Amino acid sequence: MTALVTVLTILLPILYLAVWADYLWLFYTEHPVARRTCSRAAAAVVILHMGVMVIRGVALQRLPMGTQAEFMSALALALLGTYLVVERRLRAKNTGFLTTGAAGLMMLSSAIFEPGAAQVNPLLSDPGFAGHAVLVLLSYTALSLSFLYAILYLVLARQLMRRRFGLLFRRLPALETLERMSVVSVEMGVPLLFLALALGHLWMYDLADRPGLDPRLAKALTPWDAKILFSWVIFLGYTAGLAGHRFLGWRGRRMNIMAVAAFVTIVVGMGAVHHFFPTFHKFPTMDASAVASPRADAPAYAANHLLTGER
Amino acid sequence: MAGATSLHVRSISHKTAPTAVRERAHLTEERAVELMDALSAGSASEPACVSVIPVSTCNRTEIYLEVKDGADADAILREALAAIGADCEVFFSEHALRLDGLEAIAHLYRLASGMESMMLGEPQITAQLKDAYRLARAHHEPGPGLLRAFQGAFRAGKRVRTETRISTGAVSVAFAAVELSRKFFDRLGKHRALLVGAGETGALAARHFLQHDIGHLTVVNRSFERAEALAATLRDEQSRQLVEADLDIEGESADSARALRGPDSRIIARPWDELGAAIANADVVLSTTGATEPVILPAMVQAAVKDRHGLPLFMLDIAVPRDIHPDVAKIGNVFVFGLEDLDEIVQGNLAARRGQIPHAERLIGEELAEFGQWLEDIDMRPTVAEFRAYLEELKDKQVGFVRKKQSDELADEVDKNLQLFIKKVLGRSMSSLRNSESREERARHLETLRALFSAEERDAD
Repeated sequence: MTALVTVLTILLPILYLAVWADYLWLFYTEHPVARRTCSRAAAAVVILHMGVMVIRGVALQRLPMGTQAEFMSALALALLGTYLVVERRLRAKNTGFLTTGAAGLMMLSSAIFEPGAAQVNPLLSDPGFAGHAVLVLLSYTALSLSFLYAILYLVLARQLMRRRFGLLFRRLPALETLERMSVVSVEMGVPLLFLALALGHLWMYDLADRPGLDPRLAKALTPWDAKILFSWVIFLGYTAGLAGHRFLGWRGRRMNIMAVAAFVTIVVGMGAVHHFFPTFHKFPTMDASAVASPRADAPAYAANHLLTGER
Repeated sequence: MAGATSLHVRSISHKTAPTAVRERAHLTEERAVELMDALSAGSASEPACVSVIPVSTCNRTEIYLEVKDGADADAILREALAAIGADCEVFFSEHALRLDGLEAIAHLYRLASGMESMMLGEPQITAQLKDAYRLARAHHEPGPGLLRAFQGAFRAGKRVRTETRISTGAVSVAFAAVELSRKFFDRLGKHRALLVGAGETGALAARHFLQHDIGHLTVVNRSFERAEALAATLRDEQSRQLVEADLDIEGESADSARALRGPDSRIIARPWDELGAAIANADVVLSTTGATEPVILPAMVQAAVKDRHGLPLFMLDIAVPRDIHPDVAKIGNVFVFGLEDLDEIVQGNLAARRGQIPHAERLIGEELAEFGQWLEDIDMRPTVAEFRAYLEELKDKQVGFVRKKQSDELADEVDKNLQLFIKKVLGRSMSSLRNSESREERARHLETLRALFSAEERDAD
């Protein structure tokens, strides 16, 4: 089984690149074979990748997102999976080369990174934290897709305004479809973000009640944490955008500029929060000994170590 | 050409003849039937012509002939055309394309693929060829050569259209208008169009939008009566088409079904002074009036887009001189296009279609090779069929014998094995005949096979 997982881990970046090539073929030629095969190939890769993740997770007894390589791999899977859901709902395949290309590059970088098996976050063994991390990953991936489609909308609108009837005009879906793809991505991202935040809160209170937790850490575990607050702002912002779209008829260029601005705010805001505000969401890695020697108070021990840097 | 028959085409098309000549060559359906009857009557007394399939469209008239090997196809055709009183000289003039054998079939395959059409890749020709084929089959069953050639042509056409992009993208201005609007609104059924002007051009464009299921169409014209008349005509056409499409019926039955269904409520007319309000309600505006000054002004559009919450407004000005004031294009979320833009799209699509020609030619080449192989084998088929019949007869006797003496299961098993055996023997025989060193040698082998296993020989036994 280990050998199979190893082979698949090596094979996955190649499969991702093959899917990308298929979508590129479709974009440039609209060949019927490419149209027939691209989604199926992508779905097969997603299923295979999920299988590998599950086997790895079971083997490692933790969420396989602990190292940089694992994280990039999970991000690629989330991107491809989320894209496939949007593609299936809107039946528009011609933008696939962008997302599959990005996912392919992530898988390549994942293959290039050091495995880093010795340094992993032991909190990933905790189901509450693992669920929170997966939901956060999926929600932000969906929101990033919304950003991508909003950009494509603005690019196509500009091409039309300038009367450029080139490849982008011929291949990109209608403005209406691009807008719907952006909205559908947000519709996926917002509930996932809510679930991620809710689970994060529950896990945080659960962790605070665990025996052996450093009192300083217990004090730091607060819902008023800068990152959590900013995440709620993001959630509320996107929810307001969705409500405006649905009930006030927000459409077109303005709506898509808002989607772009919202995602830029996420990136810049999160960067600023990480740099300028104290937050317990900073997880240094720990050495293998911390993970390799299970203790009765392991979660609290791991949290103490990770969040305060002390043993 | 090998075999007992040969194939020919005599063609007058937009590529070879001006309209006046094409008109002389045109064959109505009645004339086409008369021609087939004339050739069929001729073949009773003089069995030279096996079959004929005439194809006549607005751009071409072509006559496909299958005649006995060595017969003069031109003489046969000339005689038949004269017999029905058609202008026979036109098919033998310098305007006619005369192709024989595989060249004729290659032409047919290219024709079915839209490669010979005035608009490269246009799909209508396939339906026209199928109509001609059906008409021919209804009157006189075509010979094996023409039958196979037309079936192959339909297959080649289908492959070219599905495996290449030779038929994609609008190549007419009216379709380009729809294509351009679909870059804004993918689901036209959820959107509303406004037609400003009730002339022929506008009506044509409106029909295209209705064909693509536009959700709602409003006609506005300076003369409300003309707007109402056009709306009524379009309503009538649409409801007839919907009924025919739904129930797959035509004529009087369709009329009664239409009466039950009622008029198509998607199409309405509004008076000229409601133009501003009509623009505010529309997502697609088509303007085609004969006005000498712009009739759609910036203030009007500015007011209309105010409540659109950023939803784009697609405006198409296909009037000369223009109907839409140039400053309208400067308003945010308003996209104004003109005839020159549609023409640019058409030219781009045509260039893209031309880029598909090598791929299409390759596919046609593959299909032609298959037809060529069939043609090569045509002289073997009767003899091989007799040989197969002989083997099948032997097998049936043997299986019957086993069934009498042994169990049914064993007889079925013997039957299955002997079928396999026959398949192998026939395969090997066909392969050996195909690989004969010369045509003469193959004829000798066929003669031997016939002598040994023909029905007459078996009866003599």
